[in-house]
Amino acid sequence: MDKEKTILIVDDIEINRAVLNEIFKDEYNTIEACNGLEALKILNSNVEISAMLLDLVMPEMNGFETLREMSRTGKIKSVPVFLITAEESQDMLLEGYHLGAVDVITKPFMAHFLKHRIGNVIELYRYQNELESIVAKQVESINKMNHSMVETLATLIEFRDCESGEHVKRICGLTKILMTQVSSMYPEYRLSKEEIGKIVTSSVLHDVGKIAIPDNILNKPGRLTKEEFEIMKQHTTKGCEILQKIPHIMDQGLYDYSYDICRHHHERWDGRGYPDGLSGDDISIWAQVVSVADVYDALTADRVYKKAFGHETAVEMIHNGDCGIFNPKVLEAFDMVVDRIKKEHRS
Amino acid sequence: MDLFDELKALDVDVDAGLQRLNGNKNLYTRLLGSFVKTINEYYVQPDFDGNDYKETTDRAHAIKGASGNLSITPIYEAYTQIVDLLRKDQPEQARELLKNIIPIQDKIIECINKCM
Repeated sequence: MDKEKTILIVDDIEINRAVLNEIFKDEYNTIEACNGLEALKILNSNVEISAMLLDLVMPEMNGFETLREMSRTGKIKSVPVFLITAEESQDMLLEGYHLGAVDVITKPFMAHFLKHRIGNVIELYRYQNELESIVAKQVESINKMNHSMVETLATLIEFRDCESGEHVKRICGLTKILMTQVSSMYPEYRLSKEEIGKIVTSSVLHDVGKIAIPDNILNKPGRLTKEEFEIMKQHTTKGCEILQKIPHIMDQGLYDYSYDICRHHHERWDGRGYPDGLSGDDISIWAQVVSVADVYDALTADRVYKKAFGHETAVEMIHNGDCGIFNPKVLEAFDMVVDRIKKEHRS
Repeated sequence: MDLFDELKALDVDVDAGLQRLNGNKNLYTRLLGSFVKTINEYYVQPDFDGNDYKETTDRAHAIKGASGNLSITPIYEAYTQIVDLLRKDQPEQARELLKNIIPIQDKIIECINKCM
């Protein structure tokens, strides 16, 4: 134990605060609050609280209300709360535990035992916080490694495809903008920031199957014949075959998104896409988003077989269904961010 | 007799109270002074309303907690029972107990006040 740690004492009776302060002041910093409202203000300040000793019956905001508020804000997970109370009703004490208190100590307490009980829990929380911090660093490191693996794979395409690796980088940016917009506009497509991050990373691999397409087709400076186009279409399924052979280089979530996007980014809302002819919401929302991003980028870029279209023309072509039919909701979201896309794309 | 001996004669467990404060006699004395203020602030009148006694219960609860922490045993034990009876909706029994403890409570308060 050391005086770097701070205990928050919450009781409306001065005597009770003074007794607790006397017990802990030699080993901890102590802060006093007269009721739950004052305690919450302190918890929300910059002071790091190692434990909170909370009375139940108080004016303004009682102990139960304080615990409920701490549960609502999630504060209860990081600050161990001890109910210190003259209360003896079993139901009320049980309620305290249910609301997240780590222990209930009844007054009058034995100072010696109180010190040990609280000291032990503070030490456990410190250990737990340390472990969580180590795990968070390891997860960050794994995520970086995942990202590097994905980028390495995407770079391979660069060597094969005359469109250059810039295309996959732009797809990342477009996917992020559009996926975030779709997620915020439609509850049925809502995704967490973390999931959107994985989708963005996975979008890099949408064309990885092009590695398996012969050069004379991949870089043909003109319109493909029907037979050549059939081979070109195989880049979706070939990409999945490649990913199936290396599933362990990324975590399961990233693999699932990558596989799905790789296979289905040429499916269309009306079922006239490929390779599986899926339609409507049978196509995942992330594959639909990458489809729009891919088409927009293809239209606005020079390709071996065509010159780049301007932004306005590309948007009009997408709306007209010149490159296939898309989900109206995705197009609505696209319209909401179209100015941003114009500004940020290729900037 | 000094304050502590007088309180012991009134069945206050001074030793337990001091032990809780790491033997700090000055602090214990100061908190006895605070206890007098607490009693005045949360005073429970024996003629409380027998139909609406939520606030009376909270006041008795406050005195119970403070007296317990200072080991003022007669007051602590009496108010423990008073709170218990009020919670069980037995206000008349609580009132009788309160009437019995008030003279003892007054003696303890008088003793503390005399030595302050």
